[in-house]
Amino acid sequence: MTTDDLLSILLDTLLPGDEALWPAAGQHGLAQKTRDMAALAPGGLEALETVLKALPSTLPDESRDIREQTLREIEAAEPDAFDKVVTAAYNAYYTDPDIRDVIATLTGYENRPPQPRGYDLPAFDESLLDQVKARGPIWRPVPDE
Amino acid sequence: MNGTADIVIVGGGAGGLAFAWAVAGPEVKVVLLERGEAVDQRRSPSLEPDWELALQTTFNANPNLRAGSSDHPVDDRDTPIKPAYYNALGGSTIRWGAHFPRFRPSDFRTRSLDGVGQDWPLSYGELEPWYDINDRMMGVAGLAGDPANPPRAPRPCPPLPLCPATEQLAEGFEKLGWHWWPSDAAILTEGRDGRAACNNCGPCGLGCPRHARASADIAYADAARAKGVDVRTRTTVTGIDFNSDGTRVQALTYLDSDGKVGRLNCENVIIAGNGLGTARLLLAEPRYRHELLGRGLMLHPTAIVTGFFRKQYKSYRGAFAASLISQEFYETDTPRGFKRGFQMQALRGQGPLTTAQGGYGTRLPWGGDHTTAFEESFGRTISLTVTCDDLPEDENRIEIDPARKDRWDMPVPKMIYRLGENTKAMRRFGIERASEALSAAGAWKIAVTKLSRTAGFHLMGTARMGRDDRASLVDRDGRVHGIENLTLADSSVFASAAAVNPTPTLQAIALRAAHAMRIRLGLSGVAAR
Ligand SMILES: Cc1cc2nc3c(=O)[nH]c(=O)nc-3n(C[C@H](O)[C@H](O)[C@H](O)COP(=O)(O)OP(=O)(O)OC[C@H]3O[C@@H](n4cnc5c(N)ncnc54)[C@H](O)[C@@H]3O)c2cc1C
Repeated sequence: MTTDDLLSILLDTLLPGDEALWPAAGQHGLAQKTRDMAALAPGGLEALETVLKALPSTLPDESRDIREQTLREIEAAEPDAFDKVVTAAYNAYYTDPDIRDVIATLTGYENRPPQPRGYDLPAFDESLLDQVKARGPIWRPVPDE
Repeated sequence: MNGTADIVIVGGGAGGLAFAWAVAGPEVKVVLLERGEAVDQRRSPSLEPDWELALQTTFNANPNLRAGSSDHPVDDRDTPIKPAYYNALGGSTIRWGAHFPRFRPSDFRTRSLDGVGQDWPLSYGELEPWYDINDRMMGVAGLAGDPANPPRAPRPCPPLPLCPATEQLAEGFEKLGWHWWPSDAAILTEGRDGRAACNNCGPCGLGCPRHARASADIAYADAARAKGVDVRTRTTVTGIDFNSDGTRVQALTYLDSDGKVGRLNCENVIIAGNGLGTARLLLAEPRYRHELLGRGLMLHPTAIVTGFFRKQYKSYRGAFAASLISQEFYETDTPRGFKRGFQMQALRGQGPLTTAQGGYGTRLPWGGDHTTAFEESFGRTISLTVTCDDLPEDENRIEIDPARKDRWDMPVPKMIYRLGENTKAMRRFGIERASEALSAAGAWKIAVTKLSRTAGFHLMGTARMGRDDRASLVDRDGRVHGIENLTLADSSVFASAAAVNPTPTLQAIALRAAHAMRIRLGLSGVAAR
């Protein structure tokens, strides 16, 4: 088993997806991208190595529940390193175009950068403020002004 | 390299650039020295597919995590609220949310009204004309007539719209009979001066390629250059040379973009390096001593309460920090158990990655529950800040560590801060009220972040303004007591924090101080463009 295989199992446990649209992160081939993302943060690659080293060699043979339990133990023992790995995994997953497509399908998300298109800018509806205005001033006057 | 100038400004952020524009004119040679680079916002990361990553890297608000070429380390081990600012032309407004509220009159009189904090030697009325000029320069959208504030001039642009989610939130406030109003925002809703109107994209903090969201560079840098200001970026001021009895600054020393040492002889010096940078520069100078220097740091401890709604609102659309505010609980009401009050400010949802990373709160869980948590959150949340007024306490401070130097051979600053008891009581009460508002709006779940640890972006009070030269460092014009030609023009001079974002107020103070300097120099006063 290569380190990337192990990393893929780690990713599949962190982000297992579901039976419907969401793919599992490791099976989706995000191991290398997770490494790249880990490298963005100070100490990120070292953190990834720490977590990978802590994984037992039996992990691939375990059930999903045991894998999750094992990771929770590593998280408790190495919270900082684990935190960086989860950040990197989420970064890899949520910047992946296929994952963004899933989000678009599920939510209507536009799956494009915010600029240059942006969104509509309707006018503010001032009638919403009728009651606030009717309640009158609430600011506190100051004697010397 | 040596040179001379009539007026030298250290720091090209919100205060420094406003001051530079206002003080400039053909009669004076004005030089502005900024340690950071100019940022080309036309090439904002918001144009790129991986735009959200920039919030963690090049646009990370925490200088220790960003660690860019202009950034120095900050020792933040002794503060639960981490520093957040940006070193560039435009300063922290490169990274800001452009929410643009004014202080209230009572914020300038907390000691005489409520027996806490310090009174200012300035009043709201005296600052009002400078707020107005600054609103026009920055380009502000909003609606006059807010019953929670004194009447103000018509806003330069109509307000930003609410979005479906913030309309829902407004309904919650209506049900409770509580104040709310659309925020003033330094964001254009109509194009002008080569700047386009906002297109509601959302992540203002990545810089605005349309220049709709103001930042100090966009609003003031070209206008200052047009008036003759020599703006030098990548130039870090490293020392202040005083005369022998410490009553006058003679020159500044700096490292230029090539790492060469320079010296600028000057008649007048203005420091606008923000509440941390200004204090650090002065603390590093052995000729200047005041026991309050660096002390009284105020940060606006902020809780964030997030409401989850069943409906897919696409709440990531629209300026993240500028939709609506509530000042229902702004003033002292003694039975509540604390003095002064807080503002609630609506924050919109965020992009997919930032949602997964926890947005304003806790990261979504990994493992089997992850996708459900994501689907419940993305586009379906709206948050309220509880932005607490912060009393000036001397133990809260900026210090320097003489033993630890940065790349510019400057001592590393240290931020030391803890929450006061008044703030804690206020925060508890505020979290309850924000939760009530979100429930009234129909949220099915509410998540509370008791203290936003990343929210160290309002750095105030480390060189406070006052009448008494033992109890304060600068006078009402920002002039350092006992030094004839040194002025501070940023939020370090704040005597109180108020419960709102500081930038309109610090820029009004900078404009007013520049006007006062021009009058002292026998020049005409400052007029709006
Ligand atoms: C994420 C974020 C969101 C924010 N949102 C809002 C908001 O919605 N509304 C609001 O009102 N405020 C907001 N703020 C705060 C706002 O940006 C600051 O209040 C404002 O920019 C402070 O102005 P300043 O001039 O004091 O300092 P800055 O704008 O920080 O400028 C100081 C400048 O001085 C330079 N400098 C420091 N030391 C030296 C030196 N030795 N030599 C040369 N140059 C030096 C720095 O590089 C910097 O550019 C936000 C800030 C952040 C980080």
